[in-house]
Amino acid sequence: MDGWEEMVDELGRWAEPSLLVLASLADGAKHGYAITTDVAEQVGVTLGPGTLYAALSRLEDRGLIEALPAEGRRRPYRLTAAGAAELSAQATRMQRLAALSLGRLRLGPA
Amino acid sequence: MTGLVRALVACYPPAWRRRYGEEYAQLLRDLRVHRRPALVVDSLFGAVRAHGGALMSRRSPMTSLVWAAGLFTVAGLAFAKLAEDFHGQARASYAVLVVAATVALLALAVAAAPALRDRHAWKYAVVPLAGTALWYGTVRLTLALSTGRNAVGFVVVAAAGTLVVGATAWAASAALRRAPVASGAAIRVVAAAGMGLATIAALAWGLQVRSLGGSGFLAGPFLPSWIGVVVALAAATALAGSSARYRTAAGHS
Repeated sequence: MDGWEEMVDELGRWAEPSLLVLASLADGAKHGYAITTDVAEQVGVTLGPGTLYAALSRLEDRGLIEALPAEGRRRPYRLTAAGAAELSAQATRMQRLAALSLGRLRLGPA
Repeated sequence: MTGLVRALVACYPPAWRRRYGEEYAQLLRDLRVHRRPALVVDSLFGAVRAHGGALMSRRSPMTSLVWAAGLFTVAGLAFAKLAEDFHGQARASYAVLVVAATVALLALAVAAAPALRDRHAWKYAVVPLAGTALWYGTVRLTLALSTGRNAVGFVVVAAAGTLVVGATAWAASAALRRAPVASGAAIRVVAAAGMGLATIAALAWGLQVRSLGGSGFLAGPFLPSWIGVVVALAAATALAGSSARYRTAAGHS
């Protein structure tokens, strides 16, 4: 897909802000400020406005999120089916990596 | 706060503003960006990324570096003009800046040189030569028409110089599209590091010149010019840094 590689590095890992935005939208539509607050509360990461909108723009271009009608001056975004599938795939991959790493660390020397 | 929000939104490209401008402005207000300098910086970098667009993508790290060098050159020329009036002051910072800038631009030249082997490269090499000749002609004409201080003439010469640098960056990126070079990440890191060091040196130079001078740090028109130069150098460094993150140009072409 043209432009897809803008969101993943040479190892196939996702840029963190894009993944954080997808994760934040997984439980429902949110506008920019709500995403920022949610990510800060849940993950402890402060997404700056420039970083957030760079991610939103890329995700929207790739069809992983979609904009809803504006509510006043705020515009909510929600996951598309493709976005949910991509988030699920990435989360599964990260879960496997976490399980593998923790398991091997437990087996390693103290 | 409204002025700051409006200024930050205005930094983005027109098409981006039409799509996201209103909601982005609201986000900046919600975040109380006027009380959080780090978010102001993040917004400025976001604007640089938005302007960079495809140039910032990892598929063309050399192109990003070329445009970074263009911005760096314009900022460097502005610095040279600014430093004219403070000859002999803050010599160490000035020397570090010159050496770091030279290293950065030499690294870029080394990285891009293989593209000159392409048989059509001469078409693009003509652009900086013709541009420089046109710029020199503009300078001579402006001097001939000027009497005493001429702000309009200065703006014309500066704008012509910026256009020549922009045209040169365009020509270089077009040549690199025709004949992509697989430069290593190390050489791009050297270029980005050189630009970063030059930015820090420009920052230190301004602080030294004004802090040690007799007229006080906030005096005169120096401060906005110096801040503008340092911000432009920092933006160039950020753009160059984005190109340094990737391993090879050819691998993503």
